Amino acid sequence: MTFAHPLRFAVALAVAAILVILYGAVSRRKSAQDLAYSNLTFFAVSAKPGLWLPRLLQAGWVLGLVALAVALGGPRVMAPVPVRDGAVFICIDTSGSMAAQDVAPTRAAAALAAARAFIDESPRGTRIGLISFSSGASLIQRLTENHARAQASLAAIPPPNGATAIGDALRLAASALPPTGHRLVVLVTDGVNNMGVDPQQVAEWLGTQHIPVYTIGIGTSNGGLIPGSSDEATIDEGALESYAQVSGGAYARAENATELRDALARLGRITALEGKRVDATPSFTIAGVLLLIATFLTGLGIGKL
Amino acid sequence: MIARSSPAESIRRALLNGKRRPRTPGGSPTSRRGDGYEFVELREYVAGDDVRRIDWAASARTGELQSRVILEDVALTLAAILDDSPSMQVGRRRPLLDAGREALRTWYDAAASDDRCARIVGQEMHPKGSRRGAASAAAAIGASGPFDLPRSLHVARTALRPGAALLAVSDWFDLPGDADGLLHGLGRRCDCTMLLARDPWYDGLPLSGMVRMRGAEGGVLRGFIGAAERARFKAAVREREAALLARFTAAGWRTGLLHEADGAASLAAAFGVAFARAG
Repeated sequence: MTFAHPLRFAVALAVAAILVILYGAVSRRKSAQDLAYSNLTFFAVSAKPGLWLPRLLQAGWVLGLVALAVALGGPRVMAPVPVRDGAVFICIDTSGSMAAQDVAPTRAAAALAAARAFIDESPRGTRIGLISFSSGASLIQRLTENHARAQASLAAIPPPNGATAIGDALRLAASALPPTGHRLVVLVTDGVNNMGVDPQQVAEWLGTQHIPVYTIGIGTSNGGLIPGSSDEATIDEGALESYAQVSGGAYARAENATELRDALARLGRITALEGKRVDATPSFTIAGVLLLIATFLTGLGIGKL
Repeated sequence: MIARSSPAESIRRALLNGKRRPRTPGGSPTSRRGDGYEFVELREYVAGDDVRRIDWAASARTGELQSRVILEDVALTLAAILDDSPSMQVGRRRPLLDAGREALRTWYDAAASDDRCARIVGQEMHPKGSRRGAASAAAAIGASGPFDLPRSLHVARTALRPGAALLAVSDWFDLPGDADGLLHGLGRRCDCTMLLARDPWYDGLPLSGMVRMRGAEGGVLRGFIGAAERARFKAAVREREAALLARFTAAGWRTGLLHEADGAASLAAAFGVAFARAG
């Protein structure tokens, strides 16, 4: 935490400390008028008065004053703030293996549901685009702030068919993203790249452009047969982890529809935030005032002899 | 002689009756008997009199058993321990110590001209010497010094002669848990009476909510008092009082409660004497 006005903070802290000391002194003076009892030990053991509440109130006063002192200093803290001008491309694998039913109802349907969740969790203002890829990559939806339109465009994603050209999808996303700003790519796939450009190279390049690639591998550990063929759909997890790592993103494995939806929804929240130094004065002011009011009211309510 | 009120006379009578009554079956009222005691009078034998005191010649003359009364039988040693520590300075309307002093004055009021009065303060007895009657009572009342309950009880056991009457007034917070032997020893040796200062808040704490309690002997306690806390305190006070009274009764002490309002009446009540303050 840093302060815009360190001197003000120091003065306010000193004033708060003086107030606390004065409060202690007044409390001690008041003790002469308190109810006297022969043996405090017996009283404490027999009545078992709640000793934590006074300490809680004292803590409330002190914390409230400190919070106000901090607020006067103009605190600046690093906090995750929503990205207003973020741009995200979701690249969804539509290769033939996405028809496998090891993830109910099919990998493709689960991926679409998860994409919907991602769009739902993304904050307003985040621009979302959609790319589908199999033997090639197709731009389904350009970047748009209109999340309803993005949701609607999911219907245009073709059914599973063809090979897996991950590199092409990443390259298309890179070309469609704006040159600056908070940008990222979400890659949802179940397979191994077997067509087009080398995705590793594209991922590395994206990393140099500060565009992280978040990869999500779909499929159970047992894999699943591709309908209409005797081929088994497998995931090249090592490669997906590598794409994520070199670009500054992260990899997640989803073995069922729920995990996939959760993973993408989480991404929708995380990737739409960025760490920024923000002015925390209002937060500290409100917290301090609320603490002092709550402490005062609590003391007033239960403090009468 | 100090002017005596009716309760004081009753107390004296009760103490004298206690002296004539053997403390243990077959025992004598006091263990020191024999030469050196001043003869006072002859009176009819009463059950419990020491058979060695029977004047056989006088009995033969009168045809009834006659006992020799010696000064030791009609003179009392009235000793007292008064807790004047800060814990007795508390009370609802006035300090418990004021009531304790009233009890002490009434106690010494019971002294006649041949009686000795003593006050045990710390490890000393006041007055020193052989003053009797009013002089010793006045000196005993005026004695002062740091209070130490266990030490005072030890002094009483070692310094008081058998048959002496001892009054101890305290809140008994300082009574050690292992003092039963000491109490029993005192109860066998002397005619012991204890007054337990009744807790000012015996009927309930007048507190609720966030409270600050100041310890009479120091310290401050801040805490929250609700209905549960008040109930716990009330039960504990009553339990403590009953336990203390039972403990002293078992040790052969006469027991009573020191009420803040009237120390003299409290002492009289311990002796089963009705007391009405004049005016």
